[in-house]
Amino acid sequence: MTYVLQTHRLSKTFKGKESVSEVSMRVKKGEIYGFLGPNGAGKTTIMKMLTNLVKPTSGEIELFGEKLTPTSYALLGRIGSIIEYPIFYDKLTARDNLELHCEYMGYYNKKAIDEALELVQLRGIDGKPVKDFSLGMKQRLGIARAITTKPELLILDEPINGLDPIGIKEIRQLLHILSQEYGISILISSHLLAEIEQVANTIGVINHGRLIKEVSLEQVRVTNAEYIEFQTDDCVKAAYVLSHHLGISNVRVIGSRTIRVYDLSTPLPQVNKTLIMNDVAVEAIHQKNSSLEEYFLGLLNGGEQSA
Amino acid sequence: MLKLIQLELRKYKITGYVIGAFIAMACIFGLICLISFDPTESEGLASYEQLFSVIDLLTRGTFIVFAAVLLARFIIEEYRTKSISVLFTYPINRKKLMIAKLIVVFSFTFLSIVLTELVVGLLMLAVNHSREFVHETLTKDIVGRQALSILMNALAASFMSLIPLFFGMRKYSTSATVVASILIVFIVCGSANDFSLNSIVAIPITLSWIGAIIAYASFRNIERKDII
Repeated sequence: MTYVLQTHRLSKTFKGKESVSEVSMRVKKGEIYGFLGPNGAGKTTIMKMLTNLVKPTSGEIELFGEKLTPTSYALLGRIGSIIEYPIFYDKLTARDNLELHCEYMGYYNKKAIDEALELVQLRGIDGKPVKDFSLGMKQRLGIARAITTKPELLILDEPINGLDPIGIKEIRQLLHILSQEYGISILISSHLLAEIEQVANTIGVINHGRLIKEVSLEQVRVTNAEYIEFQTDDCVKAAYVLSHHLGISNVRVIGSRTIRVYDLSTPLPQVNKTLIMNDVAVEAIHQKNSSLEEYFLGLLNGGEQSA
Repeated sequence: MLKLIQLELRKYKITGYVIGAFIAMACIFGLICLISFDPTESEGLASYEQLFSVIDLLTRGTFIVFAAVLLARFIIEEYRTKSISVLFTYPINRKKLMIAKLIVVFSFTFLSIVLTELVVGLLMLAVNHSREFVHETLTKDIVGRQALSILMNALAASFMSLIPLFFGMRKYSTSATVVASILIVFIVCGSANDFSLNSIVAIPITLSWIGAIIAYASFRNIERKDII
């Protein structure tokens, strides 16, 4: 597996206060990595360190397999970013801003600007200085700027801030297009789980400057599927009964007395009845509907997985 | 580097400042005319040396303040509006980016001072041709000496015009920059009874050095600094 981005025990201390501590994260090539965490968790600081705006107090960053140093300017040319909120030379028009961007990035494909504006669906902006734009338009323009030069890695800090629901949906689709058709790896941050959940392949949960958990969303979905938990004195027998009499094989035995049934197609009373009729003593039944939200809230609250 | 300078000029629309500089030039010319036409004052402009020194004083004073405005626009504003955080994510050496900005301010100031002194000087010579308030013959010697002093003074003024950067960068404040420049003008361009601090050669030279050092300090450590 190749990683476009890896950090090793990355830390940053501002005036004696540690705002990022020992973050080791890995972003795979081509995936969308979602940074999830409340405001002030250190997401922006990490992103600033990735783009060399803030220098780590300790730890290392590796981009595209190379170590990022204060003078590794060439690496920056392969990244597109919006950090904190989109900033422009706001007396200039959108097009002027994008042209300047291309010049500084050393990218001379003039068509790219129109393509980018088209991708973010920003129209009717000719001759209008950016300072007259709404936040949503600036956000779109910021994304347009970040993708104009077709970077290998896109770093977007809260890109859906200030967008209306339709805009959010469009951006979501855009991110999928960028990731799938252009093969761009994307690092996106948000404090809204619902947003991250819909775009990301991997989620890094961060709070108080620490990376609490890094999981692929697929895995979370599997481990957090809804299930019914039976407490019984004979798990082996229970598993046997479930698979032979009811055809339920998606079960997991936890410890010696607990068995979880993930296949919920058979109604609970029937499962219970079958178990009892086959001489499995059921001591307790517990139905668990753990949503993704509970899972992540659990992580953020410092507790273990709520299950 | 030339490319970077070009981009800076495009980013901040230099044309407006060029027009501003020409207006300043016209004002200086007008002011000198007034001084020279005033019968009670014309004693003060009795020689070419005096005439040119008044032109020099006004011009340098004006463009040192002008330079502060440029510094505020090209450097301090970039920090204040945080657009520097966009600029510094480009694959371009930060030192070069800063040097490009400094070159813009420095050369704009230098060129405006030299050009203004030349144009206003020549115009005054023409005016003098018809009005004759200076009763000296213009020798090659005077011209040579004045040309040299214009160049040296312009050079010194351009360097010291970078001093306000230090004050402006502390809180990213435009007004602090401009106020600092006005103070500098008081120091080097204030004169009493034909005596000005600028005539003590050590003073403009020291100030120029300070300006150069401040400019250097502004980018020396820029690769290690955090942009928050």
